[in-house]
Amino acid sequence: MKKTLFAIFCLSGMLAAQETVAPTVDEKVGPPRGESKGDYNIVQSWELGYRFAAVGGNADKYRSDVNYHDGIRLLGSNLTVNSKDGHGRWFDEIVLSTQGLGNDPYEAATLRVQKNQLYRYDLLWRQNDYFNPGLTVANGEHLETTRHGWQDHELTLFPQSHFRIRAGYSRVAENGPALTTEQEFDGRSDVFPIFRKVRRQFNDFRLGADGQWKGLRFTVQRQWEYFKEDSADSLTSTGALASFQRAQPYRGTTPGWMGNVYGEYKWIALTGRFTYAGGRGAFVQNETAIGTDRFGSAQNRQVIVTGNGDRPVVTGDVNITIFPVGRFTIINHVSASNTRMTGNNFFQQFDNKTFSFSSVNFQFLGVRLVTNATDVRYRFTKTFDLFGGFRYADREIRSIEDSGSPGTALDGISASQSNHTKAGVGGVNWILMKYIRAHAEFEVGRNDNPFTPQSLRDYHAARAKVQYRKKTLLLGGGYQDNYNDNSIQITAYSSHARTYQGEGSWNAKSWVSVDGSYSKLHLDTIGGIDFFAGSPRSQEVTGLQSIYISNIHAANVGLRFAVRQYADLYVGYNLTKDTGDGRSGLATQATAAAQVFYNAQTFPLTYHSPVLRLSVRVTEKLRWNVGYQYYGYREDFGLLSVNQNYRANTGYTSLLWAF
Amino acid sequence: MFKWVTLMRPLTILRLALLALPLCAPAQTAPKAENKFVGSAVCKTCHPDVWLNFNKNPHFRSIASGKEEPAKTGCEGCHGPGGNHVAAGGGKPTIRAFSQMSPDQALNTCLECHSKDVARGFVRASAHTEADVVCNSCHSIHKSQSPKFLLAKQQTQLCYSCHAGVRAQFDMPVKHRVNEGSVQCTDCHNPHGSAAPTWKTGTSSAMLAPAHDNEMPCLKCHVDKRGPFVFEHASVRVEGCDNCHMPHGSTNAKLLRRPVVFTLCLECHNGAGTFGRQNAGVITQSATHNMLDPKYQRCTLCHVRLHGSNVDPMFLR
Repeated sequence: MKKTLFAIFCLSGMLAAQETVAPTVDEKVGPPRGESKGDYNIVQSWELGYRFAAVGGNADKYRSDVNYHDGIRLLGSNLTVNSKDGHGRWFDEIVLSTQGLGNDPYEAATLRVQKNQLYRYDLLWRQNDYFNPGLTVANGEHLETTRHGWQDHELTLFPQSHFRIRAGYSRVAENGPALTTEQEFDGRSDVFPIFRKVRRQFNDFRLGADGQWKGLRFTVQRQWEYFKEDSADSLTSTGALASFQRAQPYRGTTPGWMGNVYGEYKWIALTGRFTYAGGRGAFVQNETAIGTDRFGSAQNRQVIVTGNGDRPVVTGDVNITIFPVGRFTIINHVSASNTRMTGNNFFQQFDNKTFSFSSVNFQFLGVRLVTNATDVRYRFTKTFDLFGGFRYADREIRSIEDSGSPGTALDGISASQSNHTKAGVGGVNWILMKYIRAHAEFEVGRNDNPFTPQSLRDYHAARAKVQYRKKTLLLGGGYQDNYNDNSIQITAYSSHARTYQGEGSWNAKSWVSVDGSYSKLHLDTIGGIDFFAGSPRSQEVTGLQSIYISNIHAANVGLRFAVRQYADLYVGYNLTKDTGDGRSGLATQATAAAQVFYNAQTFPLTYHSPVLRLSVRVTEKLRWNVGYQYYGYREDFGLLSVNQNYRANTGYTSLLWAF
Repeated sequence: MFKWVTLMRPLTILRLALLALPLCAPAQTAPKAENKFVGSAVCKTCHPDVWLNFNKNPHFRSIASGKEEPAKTGCEGCHGPGGNHVAAGGGKPTIRAFSQMSPDQALNTCLECHSKDVARGFVRASAHTEADVVCNSCHSIHKSQSPKFLLAKQQTQLCYSCHAGVRAQFDMPVKHRVNEGSVQCTDCHNPHGSAAPTWKTGTSSAMLAPAHDNEMPCLKCHVDKRGPFVFEHASVRVEGCDNCHMPHGSTNAKLLRRPVVFTLCLECHNGAGTFGRQNAGVITQSATHNMLDPKYQRCTLCHVRLHGSNVDPMFLR
């Protein structure tokens, strides 16, 4: 009995097992402590500790990547309560696990409470301290330090019945300070950092039911989504921009329906699905700026914009699987979707130069997509099967862009285009030997009118994988590539991505195990560009290309070692190293414009993180844990003259109490 | 002493013939005892290790209810009737052992009960099924490491065991916080398969779990990027977020596909060909934007609302 309870405890602890330095709840804690209270069995563990972090170098980048900081934490906890006979009075199961409570940047809790045949309730709660300065893309002038929280609640009544009722609620909230930028008062003048107070809320309510009739299972769900944003921007006196205030409240609602039918019979399975969502948003924007323009003249401006946007989305899918004999399967999936995005606004600007300006704007973007995928599979033997298929898609995009003065007739720019996708897929599953299995697949396709120069046009993808698995030993290797050639007369874009990977794990004994993996991710792209550059006046430049080459070597290894029941040790190491295109520095280019793009062709860096965890048994119920993790980030040469290098020593010490 | 003549006796010949009969006749033609249901209580006699903890297994509900037919109750609900197995004193050939099943058989066995949820509606068409990754490849009924969903390992480790390349992306400096326990693979993916997406060309789903109204799963969390906006950045809606972002992890800020933003923007905004919403090329940057000026190399300094704007067609506010 004790062994079983011990196993249960370990398993529940594994739920929160982390790659990062804490919590330590996957370590063993003496004999298990399952307690019986009446008709229930209770197993629980709590890990309380102190986390520390010492950072050198670019602290903003550390906060963006890692963000662990000092403080007392409930690093992890697990509680399971189970009825012994499945006939508990109020519930039959409670499963609760938490992580990082007490101000860790990544806090989470899950809860399940259920009573057999009567109800099941699931909760998932998460909260992140989100920090991102966007250094290389915005010169450090963009920053978010917000708290991002999620909740998901699901209640199912009669979960084992043919008729079920489901209700759900989800919430996403983001609050906190941020930094953005604003360009005033014309397109060539200065850009100013603006303080923003972020306030966003998303609430989603769901109500649905499942039923069964003559072997067909039906699902109907009604959904109401509400989004509101009340972020506000403000600034007082930065010289040229003396004052700036902006409010932009937004209210969105998306009522929707979802219906699903599923039937599975002796030789055929059918899935049909229908969804409708009628997204609608309304907004007001009111901003006032006072300062001086680039010529030194006093300037003030008020902008008021009102309007709304609509986006109804209708989708339908039918998936039919036919398996007349066990070894032969035909699958056909037909899908259709229609998305219509329309928006209009009334723009009014008042300033002391032009005095007033107003316009009305209308935009429509419609995407209609019809797809069909047919797959055939034949299993020649128990160890060998082939599959192949054909994909076809017809996408039509319609667009209307319109703008003008109020009271005048609008004659917008309308356009439509269609794209046809034709692709063939195929592959094989093969158990080569008793413990060795291989999988290979490919896709070759063509889009005749891709939407952007980066989109897939002539493309192919291939993937192969071999795995050896025998009891405690797992070895695997794989290869994957994705090639795209989107060349046309004026510009050419091509992308080659290749991934090589190998992984292995060996649970040699109950007290020692090792696992690791290595991946090489190669990417090279080249695209035609057209831009303006030059001194003193900019000229159009068309002869250059945008090139990007990345060669990332990623490896991780971990070793677990236990000294009987007295201590557990984990030693690990993660490495990400982008060797770029092999250059050791930035060479001088023929022109200044060429230099700008040459500098951004590759981004070699090294990011590595050794980790050490030790867990020592103090008593049967108590264990002392300590962990250390180092984070080192180093760019071979900075981009846009921004140095983001940092190094951080982080760790924790904790007591784990389990009973 | 053995005498050959003994073999020639009629009775001995009859005995030998009876002994050889099973070798000549196919097994299925032999009269077979009916394989009867014996009930889970019998199983625990030889499998106490499984039974001891089975009350915490979701499949225990079929026993607790007491209303299910024998073919859907307890051990025999999955392993089939155990009569022959008991009579033979055990052995895998006499029972439906998942370790002996082909992937198809394992899938079919589980779907006898588990096909009623919407989330598993496309399981037979999923890329996992196509690659012979079926229920018992990820779920462990008797040795699960998670009370919910009976996963064989913690979810992240389970996915990593095949997708090492994805693991490498989550180990990068800029990533979604999967290793930190804040995000899970199933927040964005449905490992049981999904319907055709409504973005890109709708032909390759990557088993994504769509967001609220069949949008990209990114918008489940990044709700402020959702709109609808008066001025949609068309490529976001048509091609999806991964046109510019690496969803798992990247060495670049904001999970971008390029380390600096201007190369990313200019690779599309080059005016070439039949691209874009007007089918006449994606507009080039303004002639006033001198790329030698660092300000213009950071496109998002001015185009701050580039996921979509309600105010400005150039996404300036």
